[in-house]
Amino acid sequence: MKLRAVRLHNVRRFAGRGVAIEGMGDGVNVLSAANEHGKSTSFDALHALFFQPHSGTPKAVQSLRPYSGGSPLVEADIETEAGRFRLTKQFYAGKRAGVVDLASGRIMAQADEAERFIAELVHGGSGGPAGLLWVRQGITGIENRSPSEKEEERKAREGVLASVQGEVEALTGGRRMAQILDACAAELGELATATGRPRAGGPYAEALEERDRLASEEARLEADVRDLRNALDARRKARARLAELEDPAETAARQQARVQAEQALAQARAHGEKLHAAEARESLARHNAEAARAALDTFRRATQRVLDLQSQETAAIARRDDALARRLEAVTASDNALAAAEQAEVAEQEARGLLARLDRALRAREAAERLKQLRTRLAEAEAAHKQIEDGQAALRVAAVPADTVRELEGIETELAGLRAAEAARATTLRIDYEDGAKGQLTDGGAPLPGGTERPIHGTAQFDIEGIGTLTIRSTREGEAADGKLAKAVERRRSLLEQLGAESLRDVRERQAAASAKAIELETARRHLALLAPQGVAELRAEIARLQDLPVPEDQTEANPEAARQAHAAAGEKLAAARLAAREARPVRDKAEAAVIDAEKALSSIAAERAVAEAALGAEEGRADRAGELQRVCETAEAAFAEAKAAAETLRAGAPDIDTVEATLRRTASAVDATAKEAASLREQLADLNGSIRTRTDGAVEEIWRETAERRAAADTLVRRFEMEVAALTRLRRALEDARTAARDLYFEPVMNELRPLMGLLFDDVSVSFNDATLLPELLRRNGQDEPVDVLSGGMREQLAILTRLAFARLLARDGRPAPVILDDALVYSDDDRIEKMFDALHRQSRDQQIIVFSCRQRAFERLGGNRLQMTEWRPEQG
Amino acid sequence: MFRFVHSSDLHIGKRFGNLPEDLRGRLREARHQSIGCLAGLARANGASVVLLAGDTFDTETPAPAMLRQSLAAMGDDPAIRWIILPGNHDSRVADELWRTALQHVPANVRLALEPEPVDVAPGAVVLPAPCTTRRPGRDLSEWMDGAATDDGTLRIGLAHGAIRDFSEEGSGSDVLAPDRAARAGLDYLALGDWHGLTRIDARTWYSGTPEPDRFKHREPGRAIVVSIEGPGAEPTVTPAETGAFHWRMLDLRLFGDEDVNEALAQVLPTEMRRQTLLRVAAQGRTRLPAKAELNAAVEQAAPDFAHVIYEDDALATVCESGDLDRIDHAGALRQAAETLLAESDDPQRAEAERDIARGALARLFSYCEEAPS
Repeated sequence: MKLRAVRLHNVRRFAGRGVAIEGMGDGVNVLSAANEHGKSTSFDALHALFFQPHSGTPKAVQSLRPYSGGSPLVEADIETEAGRFRLTKQFYAGKRAGVVDLASGRIMAQADEAERFIAELVHGGSGGPAGLLWVRQGITGIENRSPSEKEEERKAREGVLASVQGEVEALTGGRRMAQILDACAAELGELATATGRPRAGGPYAEALEERDRLASEEARLEADVRDLRNALDARRKARARLAELEDPAETAARQQARVQAEQALAQARAHGEKLHAAEARESLARHNAEAARAALDTFRRATQRVLDLQSQETAAIARRDDALARRLEAVTASDNALAAAEQAEVAEQEARGLLARLDRALRAREAAERLKQLRTRLAEAEAAHKQIEDGQAALRVAAVPADTVRELEGIETELAGLRAAEAARATTLRIDYEDGAKGQLTDGGAPLPGGTERPIHGTAQFDIEGIGTLTIRSTREGEAADGKLAKAVERRRSLLEQLGAESLRDVRERQAAASAKAIELETARRHLALLAPQGVAELRAEIARLQDLPVPEDQTEANPEAARQAHAAAGEKLAAARLAAREARPVRDKAEAAVIDAEKALSSIAAERAVAEAALGAEEGRADRAGELQRVCETAEAAFAEAKAAAETLRAGAPDIDTVEATLRRTASAVDATAKEAASLREQLADLNGSIRTRTDGAVEEIWRETAERRAAADTLVRRFEMEVAALTRLRRALEDARTAARDLYFEPVMNELRPLMGLLFDDVSVSFNDATLLPELLRRNGQDEPVDVLSGGMREQLAILTRLAFARLLARDGRPAPVILDDALVYSDDDRIEKMFDALHRQSRDQQIIVFSCRQRAFERLGGNRLQMTEWRPEQG
Repeated sequence: MFRFVHSSDLHIGKRFGNLPEDLRGRLREARHQSIGCLAGLARANGASVVLLAGDTFDTETPAPAMLRQSLAAMGDDPAIRWIILPGNHDSRVADELWRTALQHVPANVRLALEPEPVDVAPGAVVLPAPCTTRRPGRDLSEWMDGAATDDGTLRIGLAHGAIRDFSEEGSGSDVLAPDRAARAGLDYLALGDWHGLTRIDARTWYSGTPEPDRFKHREPGRAIVVSIEGPGAEPTVTPAETGAFHWRMLDLRLFGDEDVNEALAQVLPTEMRRQTLLRVAAQGRTRLPAKAELNAAVEQAAPDFAHVIYEDDALATVCESGDLDRIDHAGALRQAAETLLAESDDPQRAEAERDIARGALARLFSYCEEAPS
């Protein structure tokens, strides 16, 4: 967006008239006029046009109104990519807003739509600055500050970082945000701690405490009220009960019932005593009658018993005699059987003795036979043993070691070889005789056969018959050269001598003989093993044992088989006899026991009879005594019947003493309990009255209700505080988030834009930038480094302008070019510095519209750029 | 002609714990004063009898001094007869109350503690139906049907309780027969319990309380002067204002574009402000700045009144971009405002969370107003 013209009418000092600034070009535009010419008015009007809704009348709009009143009108011509438009706003009466397309003269938008159109132009996106960048007279940022604050700020020099940060925040709303955050935090801080808990001593905590206090108070009072109501209930019941208890008719009735019960009890007791006496009499009579009856019965039973016992005794005597006879019989039978058994035992012993002797004789004969055999075998075994010993001795002599034989055979073979070789090498003599030759060649007398070669060693002499002696000398040293043959011959000789043999053949013969001997020896060994498998010594021991066996003294000639049969028969007989004796024994025992039983029964019957007889007394008075007893008994029984009838009559008429007593107890206790309960109720009532009075005097119920209502009010307050804390907390978070986002989003890009601009400003001094913070760090002036941590007022306002230029570059790059409007923005800067700023502005203005309002006419002449003029203006429809 | 004053529900002794301390005393005193007010009404209208149809006392155990003072106040003018009926708040169960009352009752005051005819004037009998307990669970006025009176005598019923489910206590189990007057041949049935003056039929009326104690009924405290020419004649019923305090419930309906100051000024009562308790319930829609303005306006107006409760729960806040512009046109503040606005309209979020966001936004708005750009 670029501004082309601004017109205003009826604004502040221009009451009833208008002024126009037109012909604004691209790049730098300068409106230089003395103070009070309306520069700042134009600036404010322009600001209102863009930022104040036409329908509202906030302070900013109010300040535009002339003293005389009226409706301020502001108009701006702008140019955007979409074309050229005229924005118009009128405030107060006849308030309106409009957008006209200048090319066609058509009304594009009105009222709210026009507002939206304008808002679109200046809308700043996410936390970013608006589409117009402002720097106002003398201060940085466009915030409204008190004069004293400005003064303070001029004095307090700020660091570069703080300044730039401040400018960024001013453009992204941060300065106000800080104020608002502070206000928000302060308000929140009064209520809650950093962690969101109620701050002790703060109104929120107090409300909570009050609420809790009231709640517990309410609970306590509620309990009190409950107690009171319970007490009232209890008292009501107690009173009703007491009234019942104290009812006179009831009381009289209870008393009368008790008196009646007492009388009844007295009567019952008198009757009881009479009955008691009658019953005593009855009891005595019954006792007498029973005693008499018992005496009579006893006498009669004794009489009968004596008779019974007499007959029993007779029978017992008979039974005893019978038993005695049976015992005698049994004893005899038993003794006989025992004697028979003894006899049989003797016979059996004899038979057994004979049989044993026969057995011993048989075994002795068998042993003698065996001894004879063993002796024969021993003789043979000893012979075999001798043979083995001889064989072994012979074999030792004849044995030839097998390896010696093998060595001899080897030597023999070697000798044959050696001799053949010798023969081949030696000087030989051969004579072939002519047929019919008469002479002969002899060697030491032995004729030399013809046609054979005779080796010659050294010197040999042959006699030729008829001729002389032929000496042949061989100079060859054949055999002597290596001596092998001689060595072999010597070895053979030594071996043969060792063996005591003449030749190899001799040796072989001996070897065969030894072999035959060995076979013989083995045969003898086997024979001995057969004869004495456990050795000869064992054989001898066996013989010795058999020799030592005793020889039986007597030699019975009886037939062993007959003896065995006799013994078996005797055994059987003995067993039978023993069995018979055994059978006889129990019969005898039983018979003896029967005798004892019979004797016992008899003596007991006799004893009882004596006792019974004694009880009956003398025999002759027995009938009289029986009659006497009968009479006594009848008299006593009659007396008892009389006494019983008397007692019976009394018993039938007796009242139940328990019932009578129970009635008395009941009636008496009713009277007592009533009295006791009434007393207790009176006490209880006294207590309740006291308890109720203390509570009603304190109007506990009213206080309870009041407290409940106060608690409800306190609840509401607490809820309001909760909501307040939640809202403030949420707001604080939203603000902090937004601030952080804006800082993150803009700070660094702006710094990047700012750096080259700062270089421009400080071109007379060298500036070094901190890489990390992107901020100027050192200022080298006149060869001296000064740290750039504080800035003068002039530098700060320059920085403010540069920051906006940097933002403008950002916006332009974003496709939203925005004009930078400076209203006396350079008041602290010296002319020199202002020129540098001008350079910076011009440099920037190549692609940036900059509008400068200034009262420093002379200084700003050097700025160059497009000069603007304020002209009188009258709106088309006044 | 027989003429009497019918009133009920004085609730003497009520403490108003939910209201500010200094106001409580005044409200309590006003309740006590209503006795004198009723006596004055009777005198002014030439009535000789005041019927109190229950709930004369707020609790079953009133402070003894207060009880004595009330009875003494009734005894001030011996020419006027007072008939006091136990209601549900001061039922017969409150025997301590009635026992104390009996000990100190002035000669011209009659406690109608039993359901038995009471001669109040020559030719006029009151048939009371005292509440036996807080919730008797039956129609206590039933006995009136069978109560015999001399011929030519005016039969005036006196009862306390609901005839429909609109009881002050909200329970509907023990309702009175609405046609009891007809059934029992009553010339008039004086009812208590409902705090607003209500006509049931020509002979049956709720008098309402002479001194309101809550915002529920949108009317001033009143009592009824009843005149009956003779047996069977239709009574003439004349309501008269008696309340010292007005409990006003104001509905402030907003549509979003009005001047809220004006709108409030229009509904605010102009008279007797010191004696007026207000509950201003704002509803409808309003813009963010207007909401803050309204808040301020109510705060501004409040000190004139005895008490002001302002409720804007039902007032929806409409936020337009112009409203946000008053926070900031752009920048981080605007960003924060938009975040909060989005959050407050986000149907995905819990209502409580949206309320918090709404509150935060309103707060931000007011901060911004205080720290203008």
